[in-house]
Amino acid sequence: MRPVLGIAGYVLREAASRKFILAFLIGITLVLFVLSLSLKLEVLDGALAATRLFGEEMYLGIRAVDVALRPLFMASAYVVFYGGILFGIVACSDFAPSLLSPGRIEHLLALPLQRWHILAGTFLGVMTLALCGSLYGSVGLWLIFGVKTGYWPIGPLVAALLACGSFAAVYAVMLTTATLVRSAALCAATGFLTFVAGIIAGYRSSIAPVFEEGLSRKLFLAVTAVIPRLSALATASADLAASQPLGVKSLELLLAGVVVFGLGVLAVGLWRFEGKDY
Amino acid sequence: MSAIEVSGLQKTYRSAFRRTGHDALRGVDLTVPEGSAFGLIGPNGAGKTTFIKAILGIVHPTAGTVKVLGGSPEDPSIRARIGYLPERLHLPGAWTATAFLHTVAKLKGHRPDTAAHLRLLERVGLAHAAGRKIGGYSKGMRQRLGLAAALLGSPSLLVLDEPTDGIDPVGRVEVRTILQEEVRRGTTLFLNSHLLAETERVCDRVAILADGRVLREGRLEELARGGARWAVRFAPGADAGALAAAGFQAGSTEGLFHVEAADPAVLNAALDKARAAGALLVELRREGQDLEAVLTSTMGVAA
Repeated sequence: MRPVLGIAGYVLREAASRKFILAFLIGITLVLFVLSLSLKLEVLDGALAATRLFGEEMYLGIRAVDVALRPLFMASAYVVFYGGILFGIVACSDFAPSLLSPGRIEHLLALPLQRWHILAGTFLGVMTLALCGSLYGSVGLWLIFGVKTGYWPIGPLVAALLACGSFAAVYAVMLTTATLVRSAALCAATGFLTFVAGIIAGYRSSIAPVFEEGLSRKLFLAVTAVIPRLSALATASADLAASQPLGVKSLELLLAGVVVFGLGVLAVGLWRFEGKDY
Repeated sequence: MSAIEVSGLQKTYRSAFRRTGHDALRGVDLTVPEGSAFGLIGPNGAGKTTFIKAILGIVHPTAGTVKVLGGSPEDPSIRARIGYLPERLHLPGAWTATAFLHTVAKLKGHRPDTAAHLRLLERVGLAHAAGRKIGGYSKGMRQRLGLAAALLGSPSLLVLDEPTDGIDPVGRVEVRTILQEEVRRGTTLFLNSHLLAETERVCDRVAILADGRVLREGRLEELARGGARWAVRFAPGADAGALAAAGFQAGSTEGLFHVEAADPAVLNAALDKARAAGALLVELRREGQDLEAVLTSTMGVAA
C-alpha cells in the first residue's frame, strides 16, 4: 500500500503546483468568505425570521429553518455535483498523461514499484484531490449556515461524498484512456462523453420511448444499461442535501453500478498498462 | 557473479495496424560482471535504449531471458538496488530539487533524509540550487539532478543513459569523478553514452551494439589492442638504415619507429638487432586504437 500512497502523494504534490487548482481553491474560499460576511440570517424559535444579503432585506416569509434552507442546499448539491465533475474533468485530465510522459514514466517504472501501483496511486491521488475540493466547499457552506442558523444537517456533506463517488467512475474512464493514448485532450473528451452519457443514462426510461420500438430502442437501453446513472445520482445527492426522501428507487444499486463500472474500466486500463512498453 | 545476464534477447515493436514489426533487438547475449564499469556503444538506432529498457523491465522482451542482480527486473526488491537515469528525464518543473529527491526516496522505499539529500546535491554540484524550482534549471543541471536521484540509496547497479548530455566539459569531469568513485565503491556501472572518450575513460568493458546485435564485447584494452604492431622510440642518432634492415619502419617523428612482431621472441630478436646496430631504446609500447577507431572498424567489418 505504501507505494500506492507514494504515487498518490506525487500526484497531489504535482496538483499543488498547478496554478488553476490553486485559483479554484482561492475562488471557493472567496465565495465562502463573501457569503459569510454578507449574509445575515435571523432565527427565532427555529424559524428563519429575516434574511439580509449585502444589507438588503430579502422577503422570504417566516419559515422553519430546514424548509427555508432546503432549496439552497439542493442548488448547492447540484452545483457541487455537476460543477465539480466538470471542473474535475478539466483540472485532472492532464495528471495521468503527464505521469505517463516519456522521461517520467521510464523513471517511475525503474523504481521498486509494481505497474498497478502507479495506476492505483494516480487514481487515489486524483480522488483525494476531488474529495478535498468538494468537501472544502461543502463543509464551508455547511459551517456558514450552521453557525448562522444553528441547523446542522449531515445531508450536504453526504451529497458531496456522492458527487466524489460519481466522479470516480468518470475518472476511471479518463485514466484508462491515458493508458491507451497519452493525450490530455482525449482524456478530457472521454471524461466529458462519460459525463453526458451518465446524464442520459439517468433518464434512460424517459428517453427510450423517443426511439422506435425494436432494435434501436433495445440498443439504446443496452448501451445505457452499463453506464452509471449520473443524473439519478445528482438528484439523489440534492435530495440528501435537502434532507428529504430520496426520489430514486435504490441509492445502493446506483452506487453499486458506479463501483462496478469504475472497477471494470480500471481493469481494462490496468491490463493495457501492464502489457505496454514505454 | 554477473550484475546483468542477458541471453537471446529479442524485442520487436509491433504496430496495431501493421503485420510486420520493427526489430530493435535481434538476439542479444551479454554478461556484465559485478563491480565492472560497462559501456554500451553503437550508432543511432542500434537498440541501446531498448536494451536498457529491457533490462529494467520497462519494455517487455519478445524473446530471451534477462537477469539483473541475480533476479528478474520485474521484481521490486531487485529494482530497489538499481539507480537509473533515463535518456531524457522529465522533471516536475514546479518542484524544488530537495522535494524531488524526497519523493523519489519515498518511492524507492527509503526514509527521506534532508541532510543526506543536500549532501547528494552537493556531490553532483547542485547545492547552490537546492531550493530553486527545477523549471529554472539548465539542461545540465537537470541531468545532475537526475544523477542524484539515481544515486539515492547507494544502488548496487547504476544504469545511466547519456548521463553527461547537456553538461559542460568541467561538469563532465565532475560526473566522471563521481562515476569512478561509485565503481571503486563496488557499484556496477552500465553506461550508454555517445561520447566515446567518456566511455573510454570511465569503462573497463565495452560492448558494441549495432542493428540489434552485439558485434563485439570485451575488456577495453583487448578491443583497443592493435595486434602485432609496436611503437619503438630510440635515442637520437640511431642508424635508420640498420634499423630498417632489422625490420623497423621510420615513424612520423625523429627516433620513432614501428615494428611488426607476432610474439615476444620476434620482438626481442628485432630489438637485439637494433641494439647491436648501436640504437638505444627509450620507449616501447603496443600500438592500440581508441574507442572511436574500434567502433568504426567494427561497423566497417559488419557492413
